Amino acid sequence: MTIPLFVVGLGIGVAGVLAGAVLPARIRVASIALLVSGACLVELLAAGSVLLSGRSRTFSSTAILPLAGLRLLLDPLGALFVAIVAFVGLAATVYLVRYAFAGLTTRSATACYALFVTSLLAVPAAANTGSFMFSWELMAISSLLLLLVEHRHRQSAREAAQWYGVMTQMGAASILLGLLVLGSHAGGQTFADIKSSAAGLSPTVRSVGFMLVLFGFSSKAGAVPFHVWLPRAHPEAPSPVSALMSGAMVSLGIYGIIRVGGDLLSGGLLWWWVLVIAMGVLSALFGALHATASSDLKRLLAYSTIDNMGLVLIGVGASGALWVTGRRDVAVLAMIAALFILVVHASFKGCLFLAAGAIERSTGTRDLDQLGGLIHRMKGTASVFAIAAFSIIALPPLSGFAGEWLLFQSLLHGFTDRNTTTVIALLAGVVAFALAGGLTAVAFVKAFGIGFIGRARSPGAGAATEVAGSMVAAMVLLAGPCLVLGVVPGLAIPLLAKAANVGLPSATPGPLVRGPNLELAGYYGAIEPALLLVALVVAGCLTWGVLKLVARRATRRAEAWGCGRELQTSRMQYTATSFAEPLQRVFSDVLRPDIDVEVTHVAESRFYEKALAYSNETDDAIERSFYRPVASAFRWWGERARRIQNGSVHRYLAFGFAALVMVLVVLA
Amino acid sequence: MIGYAAALRLASGIVLLAAVAMLWRRDLRAAVPVLAVQGVALGVVAGTLALHQHDVGLGVTAFLVLIVKGFVVPLLVWRVVRRDPKIRETAPLVNVTASLVAAAVLIVLSFVVSAKITALSPSVATRLVPLGVATILVGYFLLVSRRRAVSQIVGLLLIDNGIALVTFLVTSGVPLIVELGSALDVLLVVVVLQVLVVNLRSRLGTFDLDQLKELHD
Repeated sequence: MTIPLFVVGLGIGVAGVLAGAVLPARIRVASIALLVSGACLVELLAAGSVLLSGRSRTFSSTAILPLAGLRLLLDPLGALFVAIVAFVGLAATVYLVRYAFAGLTTRSATACYALFVTSLLAVPAAANTGSFMFSWELMAISSLLLLLVEHRHRQSAREAAQWYGVMTQMGAASILLGLLVLGSHAGGQTFADIKSSAAGLSPTVRSVGFMLVLFGFSSKAGAVPFHVWLPRAHPEAPSPVSALMSGAMVSLGIYGIIRVGGDLLSGGLLWWWVLVIAMGVLSALFGALHATASSDLKRLLAYSTIDNMGLVLIGVGASGALWVTGRRDVAVLAMIAALFILVVHASFKGCLFLAAGAIERSTGTRDLDQLGGLIHRMKGTASVFAIAAFSIIALPPLSGFAGEWLLFQSLLHGFTDRNTTTVIALLAGVVAFALAGGLTAVAFVKAFGIGFIGRARSPGAGAATEVAGSMVAAMVLLAGPCLVLGVVPGLAIPLLAKAANVGLPSATPGPLVRGPNLELAGYYGAIEPALLLVALVVAGCLTWGVLKLVARRATRRAEAWGCGRELQTSRMQYTATSFAEPLQRVFSDVLRPDIDVEVTHVAESRFYEKALAYSNETDDAIERSFYRPVASAFRWWGERARRIQNGSVHRYLAFGFAALVMVLVVLA
Repeated sequence: MIGYAAALRLASGIVLLAAVAMLWRRDLRAAVPVLAVQGVALGVVAGTLALHQHDVGLGVTAFLVLIVKGFVVPLLVWRVVRRDPKIRETAPLVNVTASLVAAAVLIVLSFVVSAKITALSPSVATRLVPLGVATILVGYFLLVSRRRAVSQIVGLLLIDNGIALVTFLVTSGVPLIVELGSALDVLLVVVVLQVLVVNLRSRLGTFDLDQLKELHD
């Protein structure tokens, strides 16, 4: 039996885990980077061949995973996600070589890193419940350990790990339960068994199974209201790990929803997808709002991930709903749109997290209120950050624009559906999408404007220098698709259509016409980003030329926005907090800002102020109104339960005796 | 000469009676001969079964049980009791009268529970299983209700003897190696508890296990 290429890739990844665990410190990081990036390259090749040919590859072995048996199947849907993971993994690993600091070079951390990437690559290829949960849990646990790399320096990392650990384990338990429910009624634990007998299952069983897995997967995807771990965990992880979490791991939550709801249960019921749309709407708005209010750069990016996953969920939900009501061509379009956004999200969000890591490494902080002027000192990082940020706010001709255009088209064309519930859900989706788009623009104008333009707000930012070349190269690698898929988005469509046809079991090609541009057959709608790029370049040249002709005076270099004053200090600029303040005021019901002004007076007179301290913290409304009460209730019960443990040997013996007698009485 | 059934019933009855007697007597010195009697009765049960089934292995087991449970273990317990200045269980958590009532309830319970086991294969031996189960429960009750460390050893030994009785009656003899293993186990437990008791007295000056609660606070 020949071993397929993607299994070879996983094998290289496992070799990386072993290398991280045994090799001496001197060559450890270099060798795991070599092995892990090798694994990613092989997986890219394997996934690419599956996506191009459309033929699935399988592998099974009962020796590797006892009882359940290892069963892998790489079909176009899985291959797309393997490609996403491998691409982000490759860039993050290149970045890691020069980024790795003391905590990240230990045996456990390097082994965990290799394990994390390998398990991420394995999840989309798993084809039975055992293999899936095995790789899923490895992914969760290795990322949890990576989160703790800096726990000695930061209390917040420990706290984040607790939140993440609880949420991810609850999610995994729920997914396991859901898959077992489906499998036991289907009479087999492989995905093929579930798929073949899904039509014969009662709607109740299917709904219970799907709701259980939906909880787990949507929590992994950071969907509101199960998102609480994400804005804590993503900022606290080392940056390459954040990039992997946000670019790759979060996407696997979406993968799970598509795989189980679309592929295995072949579409399911309408209300499932309306629920998914509702979660998407909430996530998009909530994430975008919090992103505008955050002044911690990585926290802002984490909330923006929630926002983007909200958009993807709207797309997936719209696709499922339209599929159920029979609008199959638009359903395929919506699925392609969701997958497109996932792909471009992986590239720009991965890039932004790596850039945030570079900024943190170079300036010692990721607080936007302490940054500024980096565009002069970190030119490479600033350019890739700009490309990724413009892509995320969907400026043409970058990839985010193409993705959002596709999603808007699919939602708008879905309005003609006969089912009123679907139409209302789609309407809510469009409105949330539009509002979230605007808020995202505010957030990233803030991130780029405050972080990179203006003057340095702290000595650290003033002394920043560009990071190592390989780190910049990794960011450029991730920023590449932002440009390429933006200018010629049509290139990716045939591949995405193959994956979408697995997610929605059909051979419908969808209304998209083949070609480098996006054009819908049968509907009015087409964009030609390449032409747009040409127009932009021409317009730019013209403007520059006209300015050169008109403005003939000699250039005078002076302070920007000086307004005639002298001695401007960096404290006169906008800060991230002040930039977001008006919006924060408008949405104060959701953001619940906690503003505190502390005035210290001079000892002699109360009329003279010595110092003013201003703090402005936003709070997560969902966390405060739901999670914290639940957590404190659990703590209360725990304290109560502790009282029966008073240390008396007799009491413990009596517990045992009482239990024994009770069992006997029940038996008798 | 009494018959097989009568001998088996008599010996098993003595095992349970000894257990109840242990609840009745608060004098720790009395525990030693009672334990010895119980051990001998257990040996007789095994021996009777061996004679009845003409099983040499079981005969060897019976002999070992007689030696270990009838003589060695009581001797070890005696060595602990001898060092204890206060030889009476001064303040049991449950008084003697209530203990005896509880024992009666437990014996009834074990008869009810064991009915199912007996029903599986009714024979002279399996009809006596309730006595073994009752011995286990009484031993456990002793463990819970007495404060002194020595009483804990005795309670544990009662549980073990009860388990041994049930084993003999249900299986009519387990392989020798298993029996040897469990006998060794019990010896080890007794030795460990002996060490614990001695240490307890040298550190805390008492044999009262409830003093260990201080460790928690």
